[in-house]
Amino acid sequence: MHRVKVISGHLSSYPPQGGNRKCNINHCRARAAVSGPEDVVVVHGRRTAIGKAKRGLFKVWSFKPHSNSVVCANVSLSPRCLLTLTNITVCLTLAGNVLQPGAGAVMARIAHFLSEFPETVPVYTVNRQCSSGLQALFNIAGAIKSGSIDLGLACGVESMSLQEMGNPGDLSPRLVDFEKARACVVPMGITSENVAERFGISREKQDAFAVSSHQKADRAQRSGRFEAEIVPVVTRVTDAEGTESTVTVLKDEGVRPSTTLEGLGKLRAAFRADGSTTAGNSSQVSDGAAALLLGRRSAVEALGLPVLGVLRASAVVGVPPDMMGIGPAYAIPAALEQAGLIVADIDVFEINEAFASQAVYCVEKLGLPLDRVNPNGGAIALGHPLGCTGARMAVTLLHELQRMGRRGYGVVSMCIGTGMGAAAVFEYPGP
Amino acid sequence: MGVKVFRSPARHGYAVEGSPFIPTRLACAASQYYGIAGSGTLLILEETELGIALVKSCEWSDGLFDVAWSETNENVLAAGGGDGSLQLWDSSSNHSAPLRVAREHTQEVYSVHWSQTRGENLLVSGSWDQTAKVWDPTLSKSLTTLKGHEGVIYSTVWSPHIPGCFASASGDGTLRVWDIKSAACRLAIPAHKSEILSCDWCKYDEHMVVTGAVDCSVCVWDLRNPRQPVCQPLVGHSYAIRRVKFSPFSRTVLASCSYDFSVRFWDYSSSQPLLETVEHHSEFVCGVDFISKINSMDIKTAFPWCVLRFTFVHLLRSGVKGLYGDIDASLMV
Repeated sequence: MHRVKVISGHLSSYPPQGGNRKCNINHCRARAAVSGPEDVVVVHGRRTAIGKAKRGLFKVWSFKPHSNSVVCANVSLSPRCLLTLTNITVCLTLAGNVLQPGAGAVMARIAHFLSEFPETVPVYTVNRQCSSGLQALFNIAGAIKSGSIDLGLACGVESMSLQEMGNPGDLSPRLVDFEKARACVVPMGITSENVAERFGISREKQDAFAVSSHQKADRAQRSGRFEAEIVPVVTRVTDAEGTESTVTVLKDEGVRPSTTLEGLGKLRAAFRADGSTTAGNSSQVSDGAAALLLGRRSAVEALGLPVLGVLRASAVVGVPPDMMGIGPAYAIPAALEQAGLIVADIDVFEINEAFASQAVYCVEKLGLPLDRVNPNGGAIALGHPLGCTGARMAVTLLHELQRMGRRGYGVVSMCIGTGMGAAAVFEYPGP
Repeated sequence: MGVKVFRSPARHGYAVEGSPFIPTRLACAASQYYGIAGSGTLLILEETELGIALVKSCEWSDGLFDVAWSETNENVLAAGGGDGSLQLWDSSSNHSAPLRVAREHTQEVYSVHWSQTRGENLLVSGSWDQTAKVWDPTLSKSLTTLKGHEGVIYSTVWSPHIPGCFASASGDGTLRVWDIKSAACRLAIPAHKSEILSCDWCKYDEHMVVTGAVDCSVCVWDLRNPRQPVCQPLVGHSYAIRRVKFSPFSRTVLASCSYDFSVRFWDYSSSQPLLETVEHHSEFVCGVDFISKINSMDIKTAFPWCVLRFTFVHLLRSGVKGLYGDIDASLMV
């Protein structure tokens, strides 16, 4: 690699002399991974708007059986509708879901048929808690890399209106004897308090982060930034008098542009009497769905399909269950290392705002520039439909990179209940 | 002035030169994977009303780092490769192989230049093996090998005025002027405290040479008085200067391109030397050349230094994230 040494010698010896150009060149430990026909690429991604669980426009689904499947179906349809060629058959569809029994395996198969996929295409579901949507993407990528499929659809869906977080299943009573096992049943809000206390993330910092999330989401909404990625969903709503009407859901419902620091400061701690985590600086309980079409680059190009993004790294790491929120602080470096990149190389970070405490901790620990973190808002403003989130963030990220109009890199990351973190590195190849 | 773009997928441009015979013709030396590994392509391009069209592309087994048009035959070009070879190409032939290949340098050939002074028809090559070689136009065997540099040679450029004389820029921080008849270095100027990546002669004053270095500065030297540069170093680029070129249209105007993604134009005789910064690209700019377009209807006198309407050519090389992605090399006119 003599040439690499010579050229990096040109770049690292002298700091910029009064120049104001931002160049992400220094210390790039470039790997030999270059673009090739075996790359896993994202062709296309869409999502529904995110509705407020139980009170929002998607709550009407609670009266309809298999309503999740309709939501999923709507999303599944959109990539299909937008493909101009009609003979595209995916080889596999994967849905990430958390709360449905059995992660919604039957629901997903039904949704598949409602989306007019042929019976020959198999489906399955995956549950890795909050990362399920991203895990669906990882599983599709893995199947592509292992050669068992060429094209796959990765989805994430959740209706928190329909299902409660209440039932964790049949847990062994012996868990009380093992500290880490006990920690798995600690409520998420308490893990947030643990992170805030252990790392000194003040109430003010958390509230300020929450305000920023709402402001960024509001700006994004008003400037139409989500229009390209949101698929309208038509649903029927019953109002207080019992009259039914049809509405089209186009906008994320959770965004509150009127959020202020003072307003948030008045909220009571939600999980612990003397705590700092409130409803205002936590993610919202929501309904939503998202989907991405992935394929092996050679297969995608043979079909004449565009490349929206390239999956460059995927990492899942384990962290203490009682502080699960620190997950991204460990997953992101693992993914960056795999991709041969550093923080400075990344243009946009989509980090799930499960709680402001953990999001702030991760941003500070990794030294992420705040203007590159969740530029269009995060789960505090937009909502966190559990199984959908990972896929939703990937869709939002790729569209944001596309808007930049030049080659760029992005990271999607989230913490995972029971103590894990997941992260993916995507590349937008340029227009 | 509109910008025309040529994109070549998976090839990164290292050098560009306008044909001395056909004003709309350009040659571009390009390499795969940022020139770090892989093969190279010589692109012959034609500027049209609508854009830039590919006339011919020639493949080589290693990266190509520099290109020079022949001064006597409008179809012939020479290119320098990462494998230490020099190749002679015919842009009008249907063959995919070069006319001739010379393998004398033991490391990358980073610079190749065809002499322009009348009565002389010679090539000079500069290599990372720290030597420069002079060749006849058939590239059969080198006529002289010039040693003296203590670092890799990045650039070798014939003087447009003085026969048998060329300048070289090196990683050892010196600008050297060579005389081929005596096969010796006539002058060695410690021009920069960092590697010098490029040099060029003034087309009007035979004593003036410009250097561009890793310390982000551009310096102009009067060879009669080489102890210090002619003026304050031209600063403004925020990363290493990749190439410098004196304007053929003006005594004191020059262009520089840099890893900071920009091309800058300077007039070193002015108290405010920076004339213009062009930041069309989000990539390294490796090559720049002035080409003339004679159009009698368009002779503008608005700019005092511009006699002929000129366009400038940049080349992009993407290297920001290292060996990543399928970055197109774009040629903008």
